[in-house]
Amino acid sequence: MTELFDQYSGMVYSVALRVLNDPGQAEDVMQEIFFQVWRNPDAFVAGRGSLGAWLAVMARNRAIDSLRRRRPTDSVDDVVLVSQADIGSEVERNRMMEKVRGVLKGLPPEQQKSVELAFFEGLTHSEIAARTGDPLGTVKTRIRSALMTLRKAIGA
Amino acid sequence: MQDEHIPQEDMVLYAMQAMDSHELAAVRLHLDRCAECRRALAEVNGDLALVAMSVEPKRLPEGARQRFVERLAADAERADKGVAAPVVSIATKKPLRRAVVWIGWLAAAASLLFAFSLEQKVRVLNDQLAQQQQAAAQQAAANARAQQVLDVLTASTAKRVLLTAAKTKPEPTGRAVYLAENGGLVFQANDLAQLAQDKAYELWVIPANGQAPIAAGVFRPDAAGSASVVLPPLPKGIPAKAFGVTIEKAAGSAAPTAPIILMGAVPSAGE
Repeated sequence: MTELFDQYSGMVYSVALRVLNDPGQAEDVMQEIFFQVWRNPDAFVAGRGSLGAWLAVMARNRAIDSLRRRRPTDSVDDVVLVSQADIGSEVERNRMMEKVRGVLKGLPPEQQKSVELAFFEGLTHSEIAARTGDPLGTVKTRIRSALMTLRKAIGA
Repeated sequence: MQDEHIPQEDMVLYAMQAMDSHELAAVRLHLDRCAECRRALAEVNGDLALVAMSVEPKRLPEGARQRFVERLAADAERADKGVAAPVVSIATKKPLRRAVVWIGWLAAAASLLFAFSLEQKVRVLNDQLAQQQQAAAQQAAANARAQQVLDVLTASTAKRVLLTAAKTKPEPTGRAVYLAENGGLVFQANDLAQLAQDKAYELWVIPANGQAPIAAGVFRPDAAGSASVVLPPLPKGIPAKAFGVTIEKAAGSAAPTAPIILMGAVPSAGE
């Protein structure tokens, strides 16, 4: 368990901190995730994809829950993912993350903003539309387009 | 929604939890029935994982790992006592299987806790051992240096040279270093006159409290007129006002005999 913690705690903490912007709360989220893995080790099964990717999504979702001060919206078993990225080792992960950052920075500003608000600030598409003044359909399209661009770039 | 697949835009919003609550029920219902949409959702989650992992890496707060280990230990202890941990339950499905897994996991937790405990203990002991070895090495070095100082001061072959103004006839001199707290005294004299066989010099400590002088050792100079008295037996905690050297019979005297050959007053504080 400590190996798992040593390998992924930094990444999980960084994701939570990015969302919460509060080291104490971010550590709480990180601890809770690893604690749940400890209590429920079969929540993640290898067939579901990369453990690191799964933990990253869990970190983001739990941090958003914490931000909204609500109970967890999904069980750890509910998050299933397929990752096309090869991120088994730290070197591969770092290389991949550099690529992802480059793709995200290259997105049109309005797409970047929509992803930022939805993914890291936890706003619903209605809240984003209200904040930006854009139509709901436009907000949806921007978020989807951003993810599709990322998927194509990584898969290329 | 139940008959049509979930549009990709909605799938992305659902995965991001960015969908309004009134839309969620229909999406969940469809996902429960549609493997194709579940697969599509997994792919979106994979994309979102990349976005999540792209955040700038930050260092863990100090002690975070230790706090986690302690939490595991506390949880294992609670489990041993049969007390449920105050955590949000995540066992929402397959309760029977979870219970079986939990029993096996408890055994693993106990083993892991024991291993943690041992690891911590070994680390603490190793740290203590390293500190003690370092302290011993420092002490040994200090002892060696102190011994070297003593050897230089007391060796009969050491050359004792007093530097004075040029063309000045050497006069007898003495230098006393005294530490009242532990009664330590090191005295060295130069250019002393040779004495008859039945005579010797005697060093005296003159107490600051006005009590009688305390004999601090009988000595005879070498051929060059040099002599040392190192750590004579003296009572502790007697502040000195002055030191003196007299000529006494070879075995020493109970009280100093005039004349005083060498005399030096202890500088008062601030001098």
